[in-house]
Amino acid sequence: MKGYRKYFLNKLAWFLVTLVCAFLLNFILPRLMPGDPVAAIVARMAQGMSNSSGVQAIYEQYTELFGTNKPMLEQFFLYTRNVARGDFGFSFSQYPRTVADVLSASIWWTVCLQFPAIIVGWLIGNSLGALAAYLKGGFDKVIMPVSIFISNFPPFGMAVLLMVIFGVNLKWFPTSGGYGFDLIPSFTWSFMWSVIVHYQLPFWSIVLIAIGGQAIGMRSMSIYELNADYVKYARFLGIKDRKIVGYVFRNAMLPQITGLALSVGTMVGGALVAEIIFSYPGLGSTILTAVRGQDYPLVSATTLIITLMVLSANFIIEILYGIIDPRIKAAQAD
Amino acid sequence: MANVMLEVKELTTKYITRFGEDVYAVDHVSLKVEEGKALGIAGESGCGKSTLALSLMGYYFAPLHYTSGEIIIDGRNISGMNPDEVRKSILGKEIAYIPQAAMNALNPTRKIIHFIEDVIQEHELYITKKDIYDRARKLFETLGLPAEVLQKYPVELSGGMKQRTVIAISVLLLPKVLIADEPSSALDVTSQKMVIKMLRQLMETGLISSLIFITHELPLLYNVTDDIMVMYAGQIVEKANSKEAVFDPIHPYAKGLMGSIIVPEKGLRDVKLTAIPGVPPNLKRPPAGCRFAERCKYVQPECKVHSVDLRELEGGRTYRCIFSEEQLRKAYQNG
Ligand SMILES: Nc1ncnc2c1ncn2[C@@H]1O[C@H](COP(=O)(O)OP(=O)(O)OP(=O)(O)O)[C@@H](O)[C@H]1O
Ligand code: SF4
Ligand SMILES: [Mg+2]
Repeated sequence: MKGYRKYFLNKLAWFLVTLVCAFLLNFILPRLMPGDPVAAIVARMAQGMSNSSGVQAIYEQYTELFGTNKPMLEQFFLYTRNVARGDFGFSFSQYPRTVADVLSASIWWTVCLQFPAIIVGWLIGNSLGALAAYLKGGFDKVIMPVSIFISNFPPFGMAVLLMVIFGVNLKWFPTSGGYGFDLIPSFTWSFMWSVIVHYQLPFWSIVLIAIGGQAIGMRSMSIYELNADYVKYARFLGIKDRKIVGYVFRNAMLPQITGLALSVGTMVGGALVAEIIFSYPGLGSTILTAVRGQDYPLVSATTLIITLMVLSANFIIEILYGIIDPRIKAAQAD
Repeated sequence: MANVMLEVKELTTKYITRFGEDVYAVDHVSLKVEEGKALGIAGESGCGKSTLALSLMGYYFAPLHYTSGEIIIDGRNISGMNPDEVRKSILGKEIAYIPQAAMNALNPTRKIIHFIEDVIQEHELYITKKDIYDRARKLFETLGLPAEVLQKYPVELSGGMKQRTVIAISVLLLPKVLIADEPSSALDVTSQKMVIKMLRQLMETGLISSLIFITHELPLLYNVTDDIMVMYAGQIVEKANSKEAVFDPIHPYAKGLMGSIIVPEKGLRDVKLTAIPGVPPNLKRPPAGCRFAERCKYVQPECKVHSVDLRELEGGRTYRCIFSEEQLRKAYQNG
């Protein structure tokens, strides 16, 4: 267990370090955006007002409210304290809604869309890659080029493709939103059904991209493992192929888990783009509106949440990997 | 006469490469190993020792293919058998194998005991895990391996320990023939000694009935095996008892191989194969005549014309050359 603890602490330390860096960047970057967001809001509110001192008063009021007139360092401490409390302040673009309010409405859409999609894509991709390595021949010759093709597809390309084929031409699925615009969220059958139908296109566009990338990696890992010495030895001890194939795919899959940890960030990034294209009410769409409205508390909070999700996913995957693969323990022990 | 555990008649196998070329790496090899005996196989790298080891198992998979010949294990001819049947009832049980790269022979992510369960359950359907564990522990104790090894993963074992574990696993089902392909080459001297000791112990305790030991380090063979077979380019070029093969070889290749070993025992350790000038022929296009002709000091024009047959001397000693024993001995004396 000593080896594993070392591994765990090492991963935990890195997790915390990246988290702090991400937090700092999240605070600084949106504040470097050009333009004065408060001025923009005031301009919007003050449209039609001729009294310039009135405008000035509103401006000062907002500046006070958001704390943008304070020095950066003080803003940072305020920000840290507020974030720790889960208070991200007001949204500029959707004032008077709070950022926490906006996010809590959209985060579940993203979580429920992306995590199942990435896991399903990972599972299907690995199965196909393993099969291609094992069956070889025709199956391999079809799966490989297709995988390479779709894995090199930009995420928005896949989303647009599915949208055009299944949404616009075949009209099987709706092309935008998380549910019918004429429905009110509730636990009714018609609403649930609408959610499911709207889920399909964004879901599969994420799944497909993930499948492509995973299948390629799994195929080459499996081919490598199938030729390993232990396969030959197990055969010569009379062990059945079915069991040996079990060893091989387990061993080939292990590096794929680390591969998932490495690519989960890219996958989430791509998936956010897919959300935007399908106007899915998740974090992707939120961040787009936030950027457009120069809504820096919202931009900052959304990126922070996304970063946090990706880093945690990463951390969890690596922790699990350390438990599943005995080689980790052995490597750390000495 | 003692029971013959393994008899091989004119076994020929070939590799078919990715590009469809044939490599004739085992060419009409015949051999016989009696109960309680050990046979050594020696030869330079690439002469087909490992391929012979694989071919002897009677179960073939790409790129290695069976061409002709017979393998008889304890009176049972397995050459005509259905491959699935060979796998089920012969491999591991009748004939077992220790691969050249025993370091990587174990699945890195499976505990030793779980792998042992897989091996035994494959052949004995109704055995409980407890019985398997007891059996494995007893075997490990007999062979001087700590029982804790059973609960470890291969990565947690040292090289020497891994090697000995592989040997122990190979004899779990008490095979009649054990084929060990360079079981000690990659090890340090202490581990090598332990492995050799262990192989001897396997014979003495009756865990195996016969042994085929492959190596390119001749001095090792002399201490372990009763007979030695020298291979060159996929063929047997000489077969003799260990002492004769090491100290009194007949075939020019065997002579070159053993050449520098003159002082018995003393200094034997340091003698490795002497370098014979030149390289073995490409087995994709083996030469028509004697395969050693290109490198032989005594080559005659007729050596290259027809393939050369094995000659058998009194007492069963064989060698493959156009010259008689006397002619060769005379030639050696003249330098
Ligand atoms: N998978 C393969 N496909 C094609 N040819 C092969 C293959 N494996 C080995 N060969 C060829 O067969 C010949 C015999 O190889 P083999 O491995 O049996 O030699 P060896 O005597 O065991 O050598 P070493 O001492 O290096 O282990 C060599 O010429 C080699 O190039
Ligand atoms: S047959 Fe000729 S070439 Fe071959 S070993 Fe004898 S003398 Fe040398
Ligand atoms: Mg070899």
